[in-house]
Amino acid sequence: MDSGPYYLVKDLPLHELIAHEFISTFVKKGACYALTYNTNIDEDNTVALLPNGKLILSLDKDTYEETGLQGRPSQYSGRKTMKFIVSIDLMDLSSKLDSKKYKRVSWAFKEKKPLKFDFLLAWHQTGAEGSTMMSYFSNYRIQERQPKIALSTVTDLPCPVLRSGELRGEPEAACSAQELFEWLGAVFSNAELNNEPDNFISTYCCPQPSTVVAKAYLCTITGFILPEKIHLLLEQLCRYFDEPKLAPWVTLSVQGFADSPVSWRENEHGFRKGGEHLYNFVVFSNRDYWLQLAVGANDDCPP
Amino acid sequence: MPAPAAAYERIVYRNPSEHHYMKVRLEFQDHGIGLNAAQFKQLLISALKDLFGEVDAALPLDILTYEEKTLSAILRICSSGLVKLWSSLTLLGSYKGKKCAFRVIQVSPFLLALSGNSRELVLN
Repeated sequence: MDSGPYYLVKDLPLHELIAHEFISTFVKKGACYALTYNTNIDEDNTVALLPNGKLILSLDKDTYEETGLQGRPSQYSGRKTMKFIVSIDLMDLSSKLDSKKYKRVSWAFKEKKPLKFDFLLAWHQTGAEGSTMMSYFSNYRIQERQPKIALSTVTDLPCPVLRSGELRGEPEAACSAQELFEWLGAVFSNAELNNEPDNFISTYCCPQPSTVVAKAYLCTITGFILPEKIHLLLEQLCRYFDEPKLAPWVTLSVQGFADSPVSWRENEHGFRKGGEHLYNFVVFSNRDYWLQLAVGANDDCPP
Repeated sequence: MPAPAAAYERIVYRNPSEHHYMKVRLEFQDHGIGLNAAQFKQLLISALKDLFGEVDAALPLDILTYEEKTLSAILRICSSGLVKLWSSLTLLGSYKGKKCAFRVIQVSPFLLALSGNSRELVLN
């Protein structure tokens, strides 16, 4: 399955993302996503473009004051506000190009405080073939990238027994969703799953009850991946059970970028100790599913 | 016979994790020093003991994965012991007379979050 190209543009001035041509070519004709590359949300200025046309800037105090734009202090500031969030609605801006608002934002990014970042960009286009990102940003250093795919098989893997109707598990009969979540992490980290309780190094073992699966397939895709592609992947995984299979369930886990300024919808995302925000689908052979959403301490509860 | 109505259940947990997980790497000033998994665990226990004493040296600590070549590991500690473990690692300065330091790469209450690190995405 094609997990779609994404693009890395180096030293892209921020005013290019509010240019009318960019908005009408990409933002309005599909879902356009952008995130600054190699910026830490807890230290640096970070910018993200959401598919609904909102440009979110997470700026440190000095930059915020220098741009002169209107924003609000970060929810996770503490007593001294060190970070400010500015949200610019590009759809709204582009509808009135000679409005005071557009002129001010344009002046802020072009003259008052010109900001430049390395951006990760991706675009899901709806509608006819038009301009591509490569040709639009040909004046800048743009590279097309494919997500990296790593496949592996594991033999004789102890797997927890699950029952789709029992999220909390059932003693002696099924494991809980939380135990599954930890086990999944252990599998993808290549941890040993069969330790004895008196082992000096590690006492972790697969949650009980468990069965041993002869062969399991693990696939990891790394990159700036579109939610639309993840949706396609999930649909294909559901189709896995169209024919009877020995496997009782399959899982799909998705991790967000730790340095994204937003998590779900437009909820502000902070780093704290790990910046984690992830979700995991467990699809059962009877078409039931579990969806687990996990966030760190500097995050709102997922929807 | 009509299909049974789809049931929906939502459970929200706040701070549910009994354990926290840390991805760490041990760096020596001079190269060529190796530790096996047991020696690594012993080093962690002695770091805890030096700072916090015998009782906290017995905190339930697991080394889920260990790579001898890079001296990196994924540790599991009970959540109440995270701060103690992290501060012990910070203050550990030497092993058998050789200067070293622990680098904490990732910390999370979810082990699945440690299987990927967006800060390690390198695109040249």
